[in-house]
Amino acid sequence: MKKTGFLFDTRYMLHETGPYHPEVPERLQAIYKGVNEADLLPKLTLIKGNRADLKWVEAVHDRAYIDRLGDACLSGKKLFDHPDNQMCNETYETALLAVGGILDAIDLVMKGEINNAFCAVRPPGHHAEKAEAMGFCYFNNVAIAARYLQMRWKIKNVGIIDFDVHHGNGTQHIFEQDPTVFYYSIHEHPSFAYPGSGREFEYGSGPGYGFTKNSPVLPGQGDSECKSLIKKSLLVDFEKFKPEVILVSVGFDGHVDDEMSGIKLSTEWYSWIMKKILEMAESYSKGRFISVLEGGYSLERLPELARDHVNVLLNG
Amino acid sequence: MFVGKSMTTKVVTIDKNADIFEAHKKMTEHNIRHLPVVEEDNFLIGIVTDRDIRSALPYDLFKSDDYAKEQEKISELKVKDVMTKDPFTISPSNTIGDALLLVQGKRVGAFPVVDEKGKLKGILSVRDLIRTFINVLGIGEPGTLICLLVEEEVGQLKKIVDAITEEKISFGSVLVARYWEEGKRAVFPYLLTQNVVYIKRKLKDMGYTLVDPMEWYLDQLPKNE
Repeated sequence: MKKTGFLFDTRYMLHETGPYHPEVPERLQAIYKGVNEADLLPKLTLIKGNRADLKWVEAVHDRAYIDRLGDACLSGKKLFDHPDNQMCNETYETALLAVGGILDAIDLVMKGEINNAFCAVRPPGHHAEKAEAMGFCYFNNVAIAARYLQMRWKIKNVGIIDFDVHHGNGTQHIFEQDPTVFYYSIHEHPSFAYPGSGREFEYGSGPGYGFTKNSPVLPGQGDSECKSLIKKSLLVDFEKFKPEVILVSVGFDGHVDDEMSGIKLSTEWYSWIMKKILEMAESYSKGRFISVLEGGYSLERLPELARDHVNVLLNG
Repeated sequence: MFVGKSMTTKVVTIDKNADIFEAHKKMTEHNIRHLPVVEEDNFLIGIVTDRDIRSALPYDLFKSDDYAKEQEKISELKVKDVMTKDPFTISPSNTIGDALLLVQGKRVGAFPVVDEKGKLKGILSVRDLIRTFINVLGIGEPGTLICLLVEEEVGQLKKIVDAITEEKISFGSVLVARYWEEGKRAVFPYLLTQNVVYIKRKLKDMGYTLVDPMEWYLDQLPKNE
């Protein structure tokens, strides 16, 4: 059995998105319920949220943007940059607690105290750009984690795998010119789904050309198409890139019962891909990977999806 | 939606007495396929395309033993010998609609844009039209595409637009496909949001059919007899 960390904090539920919004605090309750009812908590190393030092956030985001978000929260604004980004007074602090918790999980992995970790955080991050909030995201958690690995732990090659059903435009843009971070994303085809980027001909640019890879999936497709794309692209690319640590943007919104997308993935597929990622981490990354929650909105399905996710992290 | 707003105004032109290698070089350098040919005062007298030039070159030129001699002979060929004289032109006040129908009808890749005196003002290529349409479609901005099947009757679009506007969602574009099913039209609102769960439910409750793009996709697959 692996030593697995589980980042969870009830304070991650303080970020409120108001009515008619799918990114709700109850998502975390559903995740906790799934892990708890399967009696997995005693097997996990529990990690709490921790306010991130701004210098790490600044490794990705402009200081002016960070301050603008902080000010918006303090002044009681309910929207930030776009109507998708509904927020409350606690949003800024919650976002910082999420980042700091993830960085603590990284420290534990890098010190060898745990092998891997699942970070059940809110708000999500992969749409957040350097200086713009987008698609329910404020700070790009995974991007900050990648820079932290490089700056604090002197890791050269970081591999990011994003299987949220939406393309992680923020993460791609932050690293598209950077050959030290490989960004792979599998998502619903951008002609049908938000945010409209992540086409198969986007490969990065400049020195980063070839270190971005996208696998768009047509609406209605499911397990078999996604498995073959993963085998054809991700497994081949990471074999060449050999990341020293793997970060995973986990989104459960491609599930057949999730209304946010037209993709029809089964619960089993999510275990399948985590097993593949675990195998890659064993081969190239000394087993080191950290998964970070992005989307996934079906409150009925999240308990089993989280339970299975943690089970794979623990048992392979 | 006028040509004058979408055309390229910094036009690379060529003199009628230039040799065709020079014309070819200009096209390669600027990554373009059409060179308007102008006289003094920018008066348009013709257009030369990469195809005109390729047709003028013997196909085995670069393999020829006597390459230098061949090249010399061909360099005597001038732009005026291969260009299309008095090409079809459009004016800055033509519309993008005019240009689209003309591209379809004339089967050309670019139109020189001239004023009423025949002076070159710009060039409008298929590339410029595509850029214009990417702008109009709104697909440069993040959003989600929805496809609705509606009865072909007056007032449908208003209901759809109102329902979406009530949810405070902005539009990237709304497209209507005319030929879809007998008596029906397909409406494609491109919505500048990730949050489409509630609006989709609402439109369904209003009685609209949300088309699953996969149905179309499956129709295109080869059928097993």
